Amino acid sequence: MHSPLRALTLALCFVGSVFAADKSYTIAVIPKGTTHEFWKSIHAGAVKAEQELATQGTKVRLFWKGPLREDDRDQQIQVVENFTARKVHGIVLAPLDSQALVAPVTSAGQAKIPTVVIDSDLKSDQQISFVATDNFKGGQMAGDHLAQLLGGKGNVILLRYQVGSASTEAREAGFLDALAKQPGIKLISSDQHAGATRETAYQASQNLLNRFGKEVNGIFAANETSTIAMTKALRDLGQAGGKVKMLGFDSGTQSVLDLKNGDVQGLVVQDPVKMGYLGVLTVVRHLNGEKVEKRIDTGVTLVTRENMAQPEVAALLAPPIKQYLKE
Amino acid sequence: MNRFARLLQASGPFLGLLLVCGLFALTEEREFIFTGGNFKNILTQTVIVAVGALGMTLIIVGGGIDLSVGSLVAFTSVLGAKLLVAGWSPLATLLALVLVGAGVGLFNGLIVAGFRMMPFIVTLGMMGVVRGAAKWLGDNQTINAPPDSPVHQLMARINPSEFWPLPWGVWIVLGLAVVMALLLRRTVFGRHVFAIGANETAARYSGVRVGLAKGATYGVAGLLFGLAGLLQLSRLTQGDPTVATGLELDIIAAVVIGGASLNGGVGSIGGSLIGALIMALLRNGTNQLGWQTYTQEIIIGCVIVLAVGLDKWRQSRNQR
Repeated sequence: MHSPLRALTLALCFVGSVFAADKSYTIAVIPKGTTHEFWKSIHAGAVKAEQELATQGTKVRLFWKGPLREDDRDQQIQVVENFTARKVHGIVLAPLDSQALVAPVTSAGQAKIPTVVIDSDLKSDQQISFVATDNFKGGQMAGDHLAQLLGGKGNVILLRYQVGSASTEAREAGFLDALAKQPGIKLISSDQHAGATRETAYQASQNLLNRFGKEVNGIFAANETSTIAMTKALRDLGQAGGKVKMLGFDSGTQSVLDLKNGDVQGLVVQDPVKMGYLGVLTVVRHLNGEKVEKRIDTGVTLVTRENMAQPEVAALLAPPIKQYLKE
Repeated sequence: MNRFARLLQASGPFLGLLLVCGLFALTEEREFIFTGGNFKNILTQTVIVAVGALGMTLIIVGGGIDLSVGSLVAFTSVLGAKLLVAGWSPLATLLALVLVGAGVGLFNGLIVAGFRMMPFIVTLGMMGVVRGAAKWLGDNQTINAPPDSPVHQLMARINPSEFWPLPWGVWIVLGLAVVMALLLRRTVFGRHVFAIGANETAARYSGVRVGLAKGATYGVAGLLFGLAGLLQLSRLTQGDPTVATGLELDIIAAVVIGGASLNGGVGSIGGSLIGALIMALLRNGTNQLGWQTYTQEIIIGCVIVLAVGLDKWRQSRNQR
């Protein structure tokens, strides 16, 4: 072949490979469960990424699939294994357990299927990236805001969530870290756990307020259920509405209502839509041969009564799920 | 009953398995489902239900039922993790778990036989007791086994995209299936179990020591449930007190799809294994087709009723 002709052919091939919209990936997104609003927001974020990528010429086919029984580790392992056998191009996984899911993710890696871990960490170096909230920072934010509300002095209670839950333990550590810089603030209780359900959290809150209700000035609860329960217990005693400053984590219908009514002074919220969005985007970028960061922070925002009407904050409190998911 | 009808009855569950395979072969995903690596997947995912089904077949053939299996699997998995952390050897851990399982089973069996109580109630109570004990033992938390423990090799899939080598767990199931089939078909004990399941009073009058045989039935099954706990530990690399909730229902479904009758006296080891395989295959296939989780639940529910319905229909035709 003549060399100009060859050069032309090569060039055409090159141009063709860039412009042809033949990049098509199947991506499995595997949440911890499917019924909670949090996971629906992650799903919405994943669909948002799918739609955006489609306009850029990358076709993505999403499989959205949680474990058959929620909170069942064995079932989630099976889902990962089955998608590995399905030879999807990439997996986005929110592991139910930091250890139990290591083996199937390693197997996926051996089958050349990259995994991006979202929401909760995995004790492994197999994942190409970890896309999640910086919970420690979120806890610090709550601590700083509470100290500011109290003018740097007062008695504070930390209501912990549950032993062995890594994300909430990081929030609690961040909160304590922020308060350690405040000499005027005294921690009167920081070793009580709310437990898994609203009922156990409510009982723990009542018991704590029964003991410390007269002296407490500020409270932080590390997750949604314990925030709602503690606020309810404060209301029962007539201590809500700002007499005791209440800070919580995550947003749900009830806690947003409490914030609006002034019973809660601040909520630290995550951005699950962004988590799902960046999870899918990161695995696609990796598949396209780009280098991706090992840790991607999806950000935390302190929501107060003052800023809750701003559009970007309102979008965090009521994620645009309907826009992306037909239900 | 002519020879053809008898053959059809014996191979009923197997035909069901072929039917499910055939249905998946019609889908576009067949190139992913019918691969060696994926069948290794399915077999590995069947192991725990299958080991449980081996024991449950014995119990159901004997006219009983055991609802405490899921709890017992959770309890032994937590116990196993604790023993491994404490430095016990894998073999000693295996022995301990199997003996604990057998002990709980024997206890169930002796209460059922000794007090003439319904096995449903006795094991329902035991389900709560053992689940609670598992949470107590684990202090409400999962216990991580040492990550380098050889126990994890039991269920580890080496070379996941190829069919060979199969994990040890699969071979254990096959080996135990042969042992259990021989026990059920070729020993005096096995014949007694069938006799008790078919007609307890008649068996008693024929000189079968019903109480002893029942105790032994639940005890032998308990051995297997303890082993299932070790396999669960191997799969998760940790002991989890909340794992295997509802596992007993999967196991009972596998045994029933495999042709056993909850009235006792009917059932086979091979059928139960195929029943377990059918359920794992359905789950695996619908996963890969991207079907919603609820469709799986609906389909498996229908398969259970259909399998038992077909069995009844066949029996009534035979009696005519």
